[in-house]
Amino acid sequence: MNKKKISRRDFLGGAATVAAFTIVPRNVLGGPRHKPPSEKLNIAGIGVGGQGSGDIGNVSSENIVALCDVDWKRAAGTFRRYADAKKYHDFRRMLDKEDKNIDAVVVATPDHIHAPASMAAIKRGKHVYCEKPLTHSVYEARKVAEAARKYKVATQMGNQGQASEGTRLMCEYIWDGAIGPVREVHVWTDRPLRGLSSVYWPQGVERPTERPSVPETLDWDLWLGPAPNRPYHPAYLPFNWRGWWDFGTGALGDIGCHSIDPIFRALKLGHPMSVEATSTLVNKETYPVASVVNYQFPARGDMPPVKLSWYDGGMRPRRPDELENGRRLGTGGVLFVGEAGKMLGERLIPESRMKEYKRPAQMIPRSPGHHKEWIQACKGGKPAGSNFDHAGPLAEAVLLGNVALRPELKEKMNQTRLLWDGPNLKITNISEANKFLRREYREGWTL
Amino acid sequence: MKGNRRTTKQRKRECAKTISEGTGLSRRGFMSGAAAVAAFTIVPRHVLGGPGNTAPSEKLNIAGIGVGGQGGGDLGNVSSENIVALCDVDWRHAAGTFKRYPKARQYRDFRKMLDKEDKNIDAVVVATPDHTHAVATMMAIKMGKHVYCEKPLAHDIFEVRKLTEAAREHKVATQLGNQGQASEGTRLVCEFIWDGAIGPVREVHSWCNRPISPRGIDRPKETPTVPETLNWDLWLGTAPERPYHPCYLPFSWRGWWDFGTGVLGDIGCHQFAPIFRALKLGYPTSVEACSSGVNSETAPLASIVRYEFPARGDLPPVKLTWYDGGLMPTRPAELEDGRRYGGADSNLYVGDKGKMLGHRLIPEAKMKEYKQPPKTLPRSPGHHKEWILACKGGPPAGSNFEASGPMAEVVLLGNIAVRMGKQLYEQGLKLYYDGPNMRITNMPDANKYIRREYRKGWTL
Repeated sequence: MNKKKISRRDFLGGAATVAAFTIVPRNVLGGPRHKPPSEKLNIAGIGVGGQGSGDIGNVSSENIVALCDVDWKRAAGTFRRYADAKKYHDFRRMLDKEDKNIDAVVVATPDHIHAPASMAAIKRGKHVYCEKPLTHSVYEARKVAEAARKYKVATQMGNQGQASEGTRLMCEYIWDGAIGPVREVHVWTDRPLRGLSSVYWPQGVERPTERPSVPETLDWDLWLGPAPNRPYHPAYLPFNWRGWWDFGTGALGDIGCHSIDPIFRALKLGHPMSVEATSTLVNKETYPVASVVNYQFPARGDMPPVKLSWYDGGMRPRRPDELENGRRLGTGGVLFVGEAGKMLGERLIPESRMKEYKRPAQMIPRSPGHHKEWIQACKGGKPAGSNFDHAGPLAEAVLLGNVALRPELKEKMNQTRLLWDGPNLKITNISEANKFLRREYREGWTL
Repeated sequence: MKGNRRTTKQRKRECAKTISEGTGLSRRGFMSGAAAVAAFTIVPRHVLGGPGNTAPSEKLNIAGIGVGGQGGGDLGNVSSENIVALCDVDWRHAAGTFKRYPKARQYRDFRKMLDKEDKNIDAVVVATPDHTHAVATMMAIKMGKHVYCEKPLAHDIFEVRKLTEAAREHKVATQLGNQGQASEGTRLVCEFIWDGAIGPVREVHSWCNRPISPRGIDRPKETPTVPETLNWDLWLGTAPERPYHPCYLPFSWRGWWDFGTGVLGDIGCHQFAPIFRALKLGYPTSVEACSSGVNSETAPLASIVRYEFPARGDLPPVKLTWYDGGLMPTRPAELEDGRRYGGADSNLYVGDKGKMLGHRLIPEAKMKEYKQPPKTLPRSPGHHKEWILACKGGPPAGSNFEASGPMAEVVLLGNIAVRMGKQLYEQGLKLYYDGPNMRITNMPDANKYIRREYRKGWTL
């Protein structure tokens, strides 16, 4: 058994305590890190346009005391909304200056900044809410999770679906044996497509050669952060950084931590044994237009080995025979294939089978809300549902899939699959693949 | 069947094949056909009788339609015969072939060529872009010419069906340009599977890493001048009018729906041939597809097409999955570490008792242990040679239209699923197909792709 995986008991215990949480005065909890539930947290935001703005809105029951963004035009709306918050460009400076004033940070930068920002906060004993996928590389995910454990801070990754009813139902049905032992799971998203005839962000493109001037409101050097130097171009931001290897983590990084999360929980997954990927043409600049990534996970306790297949860019699994004509498979979704049936999301298929199914009693307490879980954890409550002990291994598996997609490994990947030694953070059969587990930071940046 | 042109034995063989019509090639048909090819010996013309067949001792007079690129290669492969006329809408692209056969008369319009050369030619080789296959092939067939036509036989299902019927009616010798059908590998796949080497097969995966020309793009807006050497109107042929652009030709037409048939059309007839033979496939009951984006102009960068075939005799139902654009099925556990997974293209057969990659059982240890069955299928004298022999009164070539038509239809049906991808997704459906009647039964709108409209002035 590997130590990273979340056991049913952990999951239950964590959620149960969250639900049972009651207000306790500060002195009972002790220690300086946790505010009592009766007090408000002082929160700083790092990356506060776009998704960051939404995340901050979701924790605005607390005091938003400082906001940091490398692009003040993009951040303007959030700045306006929290007029009392102090404004920064550089999160390092903000953390220095505001150290005494903040309890927690919300990190919603592009993926390549997640780790340095989260790590800097953790090392200062700040609680961290960090957007998915926790980090940009497998190594960073391991280190950030370790640090969070060491510094005993409350953490939560931004995969809000983990707090949903659906996630709980999937677990409960599978643990109830509704579809028997599961040996195969399919999970897909249409991204980077939006629907089937337009795109969210481009992939499979080359680096632009034009050199437009940097907008006045943007600190390009800070935006680059630990990434290798390159000239500014609007192809990268906002949002479209997702498609670029140096900044984003593709469709898998964007959606994998959402949609693979319930699979990790229901099937109690930890490190995969192996991963392989095929895709459309891929270059060193951007992720491919479409890919299929296959993971093999070992047996866990009395659960059999399971194959997990990821599809993106419009690819999907075959329509299951059990799915009624006229019923959509979904632009994104999860299909569990059990020995005794199939489940699409949290519905047994066909629907007649769902209707007949005698549902088990609730085993997992319901969540007070994804962001609320974290706030409560920051105030001494139990770990949030996607705390980094859970989210770390999940993000690692997701990011390992991207390693299997690297253009440099394409030829090798036609001859083998990546064999993964999770506990030792090592690809055991392709030594040159290991360099993609950890990227080099630009001078001046450290984890 | 004309009694005066076939021996009794040959007639029996052909009847056996006709019975298997619509359900693909039967083992028996395939075996006897190939056996007859192998057993073929030279017979003087008068024994065979009739005007349609050249005696084996004489040379065929062949005309080429579309003679640059692939056409140049095909003609080279039949150059044991007389190449008497060449037709191409682009004389620059055709220049090399023209030079190689300086005695051949040169044409731009195949209709004019066939009219003028009717008396002088026995057979034609059609290697135009896909959208011109059917009209060129049909005209030749109706004139009683034998036809070698490049894959995927035609641009739409209706055309394929009509060509297959016409070839039968006019009793001409035909061959589709999927030369892999003549290979040793194709025979081994059949022999191993029929031997039960991997047990009953319920699942097959087939893939190709193409495309190698642009996809997922829209129609260009510029209207550059047509090169002097090109007759754009003739190149367009049956396709709807549009301005010339170099993004369409040469070769890149494969990605444009009005002209080509995508990777599936380009490669599917190669890859599916051993599957169809070994598993005796006919029409599927359903097909579905997902892709990297549906575009009304061009095929997607990548797609996965999934067919379901019903049980055939004692063979169980089978699911066939096609992948292109670099996507592939999961690497089978049986495949040894360090062994290439099929390279650019391959087939993976999943049986109840084992797997086969191409014509090798996997792992290789299992292949080594395997007591291979006797080579009961006669080997081919060569793909083009099969056709030449058939033209001279020999038995049908391995990929004659009777045998390859249904397979080409299935390939083209996959493209319909790709093109209907958005509607299929939105309506939560796969396409249900009535093969004999060429009808998609549950999505009437999809039937528009079974048969396209020809531009004015063109008929099949």
